[in-house]
Amino acid sequence: MDENRFDDVIRNLPREFKVPPEPPIDDMWRVIEHAHFDAPASRGTSTRGFSHAIPWLAAAATLLIGIAIGRYLPRNSSDVTPPPSSAIASSQTAATADTSAVADAYRYQTNRYLGQAAALLISLPAREANVRADATFANKATDLLVTTRLLIDSPAANQDPKLRSLLEDLELVLVQIARLRTERNRGDLDLIHQAVEQGDVLSRLNSAVATTLSSE
Amino acid sequence: MNERQLIARVIAGDRLAGRALYDTHAPRVYSLAYRLTGDAEKAREFTQDTFIRAFSRLAQFRGDAAFSTWLHRITLTVVSNARRGEVRFAREVALDEAHSIESGAPEAEPDLKESIVRAIEDLSEVYRTTLVMHDIEGYTHAEIAEILDVPEGTCKSRLSAARAQLRHALAAFKE
Repeated sequence: MDENRFDDVIRNLPREFKVPPEPPIDDMWRVIEHAHFDAPASRGTSTRGFSHAIPWLAAAATLLIGIAIGRYLPRNSSDVTPPPSSAIASSQTAATADTSAVADAYRYQTNRYLGQAAALLISLPAREANVRADATFANKATDLLVTTRLLIDSPAANQDPKLRSLLEDLELVLVQIARLRTERNRGDLDLIHQAVEQGDVLSRLNSAVATTLSSE
Repeated sequence: MNERQLIARVIAGDRLAGRALYDTHAPRVYSLAYRLTGDAEKAREFTQDTFIRAFSRLAQFRGDAAFSTWLHRITLTVVSNARRGEVRFAREVALDEAHSIESGAPEAEPDLKESIVRAIEDLSEVYRTTLVMHDIEGYTHAEIAEILDVPEGTCKSRLSAARAQLRHALAAFKE
């Protein structure tokens, strides 16, 4: 093939090499719009209303956490009960001990929850998992979501702004994972991983677990 | 409304601004994705992925380069990542095709168009991308250099090498 002929080949490439069809502009936009503008995390809106949407689940989780804290409390209360010296001093110390025991109980529950959340995020598939696996992750995320909301409103989070911020970021990620069950779309897992990476959620989780363990 | 204002409104959650930004850039993104894949369904998926990723990272766009440069860089990343996953499959198909050519009746003269497509497909990824962007999609060397984050001279030498390989592959055709 001489030079002129080859130049013709190059010149004709735009008309002859894989000529694109008319792009499906509206169809593609519908997918993009749904993935970006309808996804709670990417909008950056709060998901505070989640637990109110399923009140029975919230009530059940409250009960479970209450029972767990109740079981945890007596052991710690007895551990810190002061020897009887004077009635006033004793009652003041007991009140302080009760407060401290409640905080410990919340810390214990928070630590358990953080461990479960970390396990879920670490085991999340990188991409393209099958639907059954998605449902398993979605169910775990739904369970953790209710606990997340309760812990956000708990004294443990109120006294610790870092923990509260982590819990709020986790809530957004968990909402996205919970959606995998019903609205699987290409790109959903990518968005979840992006949210985890952008918020530095895993390293903050590890650091929070280490902090709560060292304070126990 | 200029592009910078549109971007700010998309970050704030404005759908109409998102649609306006999309309408401006989607045809070229789709066209590039199609030229690189030759598959309408993949081009559609890659265009969607490009915009979903771009919108979700829009707050990180600093405006150092043009928005189109940033967007097309994401497109190439999306296409390239997907192609890597397909390499093994493509190799198997190529082997099957080679067997069928060997066992079939020899053609008197292979079709030029088909040979051009195959020769471009056989180029390495950087050569193919450069050739498709410059000679087919009409990007300038400056644009390609910025999108691929290489010096303009590198872009020119890649194009030259890609054309040389293409010409070598088509040497059998007289006219």
